[in-house]
Amino acid sequence: MDKPSAGMSKVGSRSTASLPPEPVDIIRSMSCYRRVKLNVGGLPHEVLWRTLDRLPRTRLGKLRDCKTHESLMEICDDYNLDDNEYFFDRHPGAFTSILNFYRTGKLHMMEEMCALSFSQELDYWGVDEIYLESCCQARYHQKKEQMNEELKREADTLKDRDGEEFDNTCCSEKRKKLWDLLEKPGSSVAAKILAIISILFIVLSTIALSLNTLPELQDTDEFGQTTDNPQLAHVEAVCIAWFTMEYLLRFLSSPNKWKFFKGPLNVIDLLAILPYYVTIFLTESNKSVLQFQNVRRVVQIFRIMRILRILKLARHSTGLQSLGFTLRRSYNELGLLILFLAMGIMIFSSLVFFAEKDEDDTKFKSIPASFWWATITMTTVGYGDIYPKTLLGKIVGGLCCIAGVLVIALPIPIIVNNFSEFYKEQKRQEKAIKRREALERAKRNGSIVSMNVREAFSRGAELLDVVVMDKGERTQDNHLSPSRWKWSSKRATSETSSNRSFNPEQGSPSKARASSPQRLNAQKLEEMYNQMAKTQSQPNLNTKDRSTSRAGHRRDEIELGALPGQGGDPLNGGREGVVDMKSLSSIDSYISCATDFQENPRFPYSPAGGLSLPESSRFSHSPGSGLSGRVSANPSLQTTLEHETMLTPPCSGAKPLNTDGSRQQGLLMNSQKIYAVRVNHRNCGETSPSGGPLSDSSILSDHSILSPEVSVYTTASSRTPPKTPEKKAITPAVFTFHDASISKYIDADTDDEEHLRESGPSERLLGGLSSKPRLGGYQGTTNHLEAAQRLLGQNCLFPLGSSPSVGHENHVASENSRRPKGDRGHSNAFDKGL
Amino acid sequence: MWKFPRTRYADCNGSEASKETEIAVNIGGVKRILYGDVLNRYPETRLAELVNRSTNSTQEDLSALCDDYDELKREFYFDRDPEAFKCILELYYYGEIRIKRGICPIRFKREMDYWGIGKEHLNERCKSNLNDRETELAKIVERAKGILDALKEDVTVTRLQRCQAFLRKLMEKPKSSLAARVISVLSIAFILLSSVVMCVSTIPELQVQDAAGNLMENPIIDCIETTCIIWFTVKYILRFFCSSNKLRFLISFLNIIDFLTIMPFYIVLLLGSAMMGLGSVQQAVQSLRVMRISLRVMRLARVFKLARHSSGLQTLALALKFSLKELGLIFLYMSVGIFLFSALGYTTEQSQPETLFTSIPQSFWWAISSMSTVGYGDIYPQTTLGKCNAAVSFMCGILAITLPLNLIINNFVTIYNKQYELEITAKHEIELMALHAEDEAQECQEAGKMPSAASVSNHSVWDSAGVTA
Repeated sequence: MDKPSAGMSKVGSRSTASLPPEPVDIIRSMSCYRRVKLNVGGLPHEVLWRTLDRLPRTRLGKLRDCKTHESLMEICDDYNLDDNEYFFDRHPGAFTSILNFYRTGKLHMMEEMCALSFSQELDYWGVDEIYLESCCQARYHQKKEQMNEELKREADTLKDRDGEEFDNTCCSEKRKKLWDLLEKPGSSVAAKILAIISILFIVLSTIALSLNTLPELQDTDEFGQTTDNPQLAHVEAVCIAWFTMEYLLRFLSSPNKWKFFKGPLNVIDLLAILPYYVTIFLTESNKSVLQFQNVRRVVQIFRIMRILRILKLARHSTGLQSLGFTLRRSYNELGLLILFLAMGIMIFSSLVFFAEKDEDDTKFKSIPASFWWATITMTTVGYGDIYPKTLLGKIVGGLCCIAGVLVIALPIPIIVNNFSEFYKEQKRQEKAIKRREALERAKRNGSIVSMNVREAFSRGAELLDVVVMDKGERTQDNHLSPSRWKWSSKRATSETSSNRSFNPEQGSPSKARASSPQRLNAQKLEEMYNQMAKTQSQPNLNTKDRSTSRAGHRRDEIELGALPGQGGDPLNGGREGVVDMKSLSSIDSYISCATDFQENPRFPYSPAGGLSLPESSRFSHSPGSGLSGRVSANPSLQTTLEHETMLTPPCSGAKPLNTDGSRQQGLLMNSQKIYAVRVNHRNCGETSPSGGPLSDSSILSDHSILSPEVSVYTTASSRTPPKTPEKKAITPAVFTFHDASISKYIDADTDDEEHLRESGPSERLLGGLSSKPRLGGYQGTTNHLEAAQRLLGQNCLFPLGSSPSVGHENHVASENSRRPKGDRGHSNAFDKGL
Repeated sequence: MWKFPRTRYADCNGSEASKETEIAVNIGGVKRILYGDVLNRYPETRLAELVNRSTNSTQEDLSALCDDYDELKREFYFDRDPEAFKCILELYYYGEIRIKRGICPIRFKREMDYWGIGKEHLNERCKSNLNDRETELAKIVERAKGILDALKEDVTVTRLQRCQAFLRKLMEKPKSSLAARVISVLSIAFILLSSVVMCVSTIPELQVQDAAGNLMENPIIDCIETTCIIWFTVKYILRFFCSSNKLRFLISFLNIIDFLTIMPFYIVLLLGSAMMGLGSVQQAVQSLRVMRISLRVMRLARVFKLARHSSGLQTLALALKFSLKELGLIFLYMSVGIFLFSALGYTTEQSQPETLFTSIPQSFWWAISSMSTVGYGDIYPQTTLGKCNAAVSFMCGILAITLPLNLIINNFVTIYNKQYELEITAKHEIELMALHAEDEAQECQEAGKMPSAASVSNHSVWDSAGVTA
C-alpha cells in the first residue's frame, strides 16, 4: 500500500510541476514492461499487458494504444511512467471482478454490490453487461429491475408533488389551499377535521343503508310496496349532499382535471354518488304506473350500487389502498387460485357424482348440482346441506378436503408476498422522502455530517424532558436485586444511548457521562477522594471537595431509593440518564457522541491494553464486560436476556459479597452470553448484509477465539452482577459509528431500530479485531472511565498521582462494599491513568 | 505474516528439518513469500508443483511455469485474481477453503481449477453453496439448449422433415406464429367446451328418453362431444406424426393424458359395433350403457389437458412432484389423527343411546370432516366427552395439515418464482454463447494472422486446462 501512494504523490508533483512526458517516453515505458500496475481507488493491481489486449475496445484495452499525455489522461485519472502505474479513481471492489473478466473471460458480479453501481462501473470500463455470466445474471437483472422500479416510483412521486402547479388559471392560490385541505389530511388541523367528518358521513350512510332494509323501519306506499323510511331518507340525502359537495370541490380545485377524473378513488366517489341521482331521475321522470314495475327493478339495482360507498373509506385508509394495490398487482396469482379451485371443483364434483348417483334420494343429481358441494368442501366451509353417503363418496370427500386446503394455500403466499412488499415499499417511500429532505438540508448547510449532528441536537432537545421517572426504578434495579438484572440491562441501554445523544446537546464532551456508575459509587468515591487528597496537589483538592459533597448528596438519594436528580449540577449526569430508549437510539445521536469521544484527549488510555494485559484484567473490567455486554446491549437479543433470567435466581441467592459463588455464576453467564453472541452473529450475518466487509465470517472466528478471554474478564466483573449491563451498554452504538461508512449516517433517518440491530454484529465483530478500529471503538467503553475520572477531578492530571497500590486498595475495599461496581470503574480509571 | 500458522502447523507433517524452499509469487499485484514444505502438503496442486520444479529448472522452464518471471527478484508472476488467491492459500495453512463472501462461487471454482485444487477441499457450507449454484447453472444451460434446439430446425433435408418441423412449430409453439396461436386458443376452447358438456350432460332435465324408456344423452350434446373428440384426435395424431422421438412422445405425461381423453370414446365405439355384430340389439345397448358410464369417468382427464396451456398448473404439478415426501407426511398425520380420533369418538359416544357413531370405520368419516374443519354436520358428538374430543381433533387437524403444508408451499413459491427468472437467464445465456462464439472466431482469425508469441501458447496450456476443467 505504501508504494502506490508514494508513487501517486510523485505523479502528482509531476503533473503539476513539470511538463507532461513526451510520447516517446510513454511508448518506451509501455513497451519495456510486460506488466502494468493499475491502481484503482487505492487498491493496487498488477496485470499483463497481454491480458488487457484481449478486449481492445474497452477502456483498459485502449490504454495500450495511448501515445500522448492527453490521450492517456483521457483514459486514466493519473499515471506514473517511472513506476509503470496508472491510477483510476473508481470503486476498487467492482474493478476486481472486471479485471477478472480480462483474465478469465468470465464476468461475475460482486455479490453484495448494488446492481446500479455495478452497471455504472461496467459503463465506465467499457464492458457490456451482456457479458455477465448466467449465474450472476439472474441476480443482477433482478436487482437492477427492482432498483429501476424503485427509482421510477420515487421519481413519479416527486413529479406528482411538483406537478401540482396551480399557476395556469385564476385564483390558483385559493385552489391550492382548497386542494391541500381536501386531499392532504396531514397538512393542517382543518384538513384533518374535514377528513374525520367525511369518514363519519361514510359510516353513517352505510348504517342508514343497512337499517333501511329492516322490515320494522320500512313504510308502505300507495301500491303496497315497501319504501324507505322518511327519516333515513333524510339522512341519506344529507350524506349524498356532503359527498357531492366534496366531490365537486375536489374536482374544481384539482390541478389536472382529466387525471382527477381517471383516478380510481375518484371513480369510486362518483359511483357512490351517481346511483342516488339516477334513482331520483328515474322515479321522477317515470311517474306513470305503466312503466313503474320496470323502473322499480332498475332502481333496486341502483340501490345495491349504493353499497359502493363503503369503498370510499379507502381514501382514508392506506391499509385498504394497499389491499387494492396488492390485488391489482397479483391478478396473475389470483387467476391461478381461481383456476386451481375451478379445476378441483370440476374434478371432485364429477367424481362424487359418479360415486353417489346410484344412491336413493341422493342430492348429487348432476355434476353442476354437485359443484356446490365441491366448493363448500374445498373451502372447508361444510354447511352440511349436502354430503356424500356412500363409501366411495366419502373417500372422494376426504381427498377433496385435503386437496382444497392444499390448492388454496399454495398461491396465497405469493399474494401475501406482494402485499408485504407493497407495504414495505410504502414505508420506504416515506423514508425516502424524509431522506431527500435531509439531504437537501445538508446541501444547503454545505456539510452532511453537520446536518446529522444538528438533527441529533434537535432530537435531544425534544427528548430532554421525556422521562424522568425511569431513573428511580433503574437505581433500584441496579442495587437491590440482581434478579432484576434483565431489566436493568435493558434500561442501561437506554441510559447510555441517551447519554450519547445528549452530549452534543449540551455542547461539551465533558458532560457526557453515564449517570449510574457515579451514583452507584458514592461511598467508594468518597474513600477514593480521601486517598487522593493525600497524593494530589492543591487544585485537585478543590475538586475533591466538590465532588465529595456531591457524592454525599447522591448517596442520600440512593438511600431514599429514588430519583430524579441534580438537574442543576453541571457535572451530574442524572438527567441525561433517563430518557426513553426507543425514541433516542438514533444513529444521528451516535455520530455526535462519537465525535465527541474522538476529541477527547483522554482517549488514548484505552482498553486495548486492558484486554491484553493479564495484570490489568483485575481493574479494567469495563472493556471485558463491554465485550460480553454487547450481547445484551443489543436490544433485539432476546436470547441473552432469557439466559440471564434463567441464571439470575441463583445469582440473587448469592450475595454480591460472596465472591466464590457469584464468580461461578459469572463464568456461567459469560459462557451463555458468548453462545448468544455467536448465534447472533449468524443471524445478523444473514439478515443484514449491510454489515458489509466487516461482517465477514472470518472475523467471526477471531472473535470466538477471543471470547474465552472475555469470559475471564467478565468473571471478575460479574461478581457484582448488576453492574455489567451498565458498562456494556455504551459500547455498541459508538462502535458502529466508527466503522460504518459515513454514508450510513446519511441514511440515518431510515428505521432506527433496524440500524441498531444491524450495528450489533459489525461492532461486535470489530471487538474481535485487535487493531485500530477497536481502539476507536473502545472510546465508548472508556466513556465510563472518563466519567469516573471526571467525577474524581474532572482533571486529566489527577490520575498521574495515583499509584497502582491505590487501585489495589480500592479494589479490595470494593469487595467488602456492597457496590463494588463503581469502584471497578474507578480503579480502572486509575489503571488507565498510570 | 505467515510465520504464525507455519510454526503452528509445522510439526504436522514432520518436515520441520527438511530443506526450506521459498518462492516469491506475485498474484495480480499481491506479493507473497511461500514455503515449500507448506505448499507440499498438497502436492497435486499447482503451487506445489511450482515449488518442486523451481528448484532445479532453467530460466526457460521457470518462465514457462508462470505468466511472467522476474529474474532479479526471483519472483513468479501469475495473472490471476489476488483476492481469490488469498482464500486459496488458506488451504495450505488451515486445510480447507472458505469462499470469501461476495465472490461468486462459480468464479471461485474456476480459480480453484486454475490452482489445481479439487472441490473436496472446500468448506462444507461453501461446497453446498457451490453445488446449488452449479445445479442452477446446469438448469439454465439446459433450458438454453432447448431454445437453441428449437431454433436450429432450419437445417432440414427432406420435404417430409420440413413439413414435420412446420407442423411441430404450429402445434407446440403457440408464440411462433399467428396460426399457432389461433390453434392453441381453439384447443383451449375445445377443452373447456368438452368439460362443460360433460357436466351438462348429467343434468336429468337435459337428457332424453329413448324407446326403451332409458335416459339417453341429448343428441346435441352427443354431437358436440363427437366434434371435440375429433378435434382432440386430429391434434394428437398430427403431433404424434411430427414428433422427432415417437417413443418419448408416447411416454410423456401430458401426452398420456391426451390419449386417455380420446381413448374412451373409441373403445365405446368399437365395443358397440362389435356387440352389434355379435348379439341382439337390446343386449348391445344395455352393455354399451354400462361401458359408457364407467368410461365417462375417464373423460375427466380432459380437464388436465389444460395443463399444457397453463404454466401455473405445470408449476403446481412440479411442486407436488418435488414435495411428495411432504404430501406423504400430510396423509400420514391425517391418517394417524383419523384413527385416533375416530376411535376416541366412538368410545366416548357409546354411552349415548342414539349415537351417530355406530362403529369405528363409520366414525372415520366424522374424523375426516372434523379434522379438516369441514364439518358437514351429518355426524356429530353428543356427549360432553365426545365434544371435547372433537375440539381437540379440530386443533390437531389444523396442525396436521398446516405443518407439512408449509413445506409444500415453500417448494411451490420457489418454483413459481424461478420459472420467470429461468426464462430470462436462458435467453441471456444464448446471447452470451453467441457473443463468446463471435469472440472466439475473431481470436482465431487474429491467431491465424500472427502465430507469434511462444509465451502465449505456454500460457494457454494452463489456461485452457483450467477452462476445460
